[in-house]
Amino acid sequence: MIAGVILGVAVLAVGWKVFAQPYTYQGSLIDPPVSAAEIENPDQYGNPFRLSEQRGKVVLLFFGYTNCPDVCPTTLAQFKQIKAKLGDLADQTRFVFITVDPERDTQERVRLYLDNFDPSFVGLSGDRSDLEAIWQNYFVYQAKQDTGSAAGYVVDHTSRIYAIDKEGNLRMTYPFEMEQEAILDDVRHLIQE
Amino acid sequence: MKTDFTPYIVRLVIVFVIASLVAIAINEGAYLFQVDRNDRESGTVRLVIPPGTAERIAQGEPAPGIPEKMSFVVGDVLEVKNEDSVDHQLGPVWVPPGTTGRLVLKEANRFSYSCSFSPDKYLGLDVLQRTSFATRLTGLAISAPTLAAFLFIYSLAVFPMKPREKRIEAKT
Repeated sequence: MIAGVILGVAVLAVGWKVFAQPYTYQGSLIDPPVSAAEIENPDQYGNPFRLSEQRGKVVLLFFGYTNCPDVCPTTLAQFKQIKAKLGDLADQTRFVFITVDPERDTQERVRLYLDNFDPSFVGLSGDRSDLEAIWQNYFVYQAKQDTGSAAGYVVDHTSRIYAIDKEGNLRMTYPFEMEQEAILDDVRHLIQE
Repeated sequence: MKTDFTPYIVRLVIVFVIASLVAIAINEGAYLFQVDRNDRESGTVRLVIPPGTAERIAQGEPAPGIPEKMSFVVGDVLEVKNEDSVDHQLGPVWVPPGTTGRLVLKEANRFSYSCSFSPDKYLGLDVLQRTSFATRLTGLAISAPTLAAFLFIYSLAVFPMKPREKRIEAKT
């Protein structure tokens, strides 16, 4: 009887080992992963933020601006839902928003904007000269477009989400409109790596 | 007296065999007639962005070796090696310089993405659902019984059967 149980468990274990597929990340993988460039700016509360201090956490990074009519609120709403679905694992994840419109996005404005989504999200703004270095390191495109609207100019910008692993490596990116569940699954696996 | 259904069962079996053969012929014929040349086993599609691509694009020249429209099947891995000195975006795949971008295409759809090394900055990308053996078998499993049912009813109308009756004699 006992021998039968042991044999059954052994067969199951071997079968699991043989047939279990390794997890396939659904984002656009970067191979080899590149070390994520340092980001050092005060956050929306005036506290210093350093990307290198986030080691041990998975960081989802997004570049946008508070006057953005579509991509940015959609992405931040996605961040909010991902965080909610992560549950206890959310503590091991940081959601970072960096402005591409420093002239309008003051610390205060970024804080008020992120309060609409989640006050724990990190929002970085600052001088254009400081931000330009970050944009360059992350190959972020941004260009003001005057539409003649009373609401002011819009900013064309890179809309991808960057996923940085617990070791501080830029592992993958997600195009805008990537399914939320796919990002969620990937983040869970990055946390458990 | 008891009705003997054996002739009905025999006819049904014969009709089912005929219907299956006809369904196989029609299904496979239609498949071979309509098969898309992009309908294939999934695999890895590798592209290389050679050095100087960004400069060529800036001068209005086409990117070497990159088709304007690309077709994939679900399960394909799109692998883009960037040997250029700047980052590139090929649809959903973003590739920093000196790295390889890799994405598993899991969903059948028709996409139109931005592309940094296409002169018009856009790239059409079709991801097709592959017609597998299982897909064809499913088609057969649906069509063969339906066809058999129709043929059986039709055969009864055209060649009616007189049910034989078994006389069960009581042993005395």
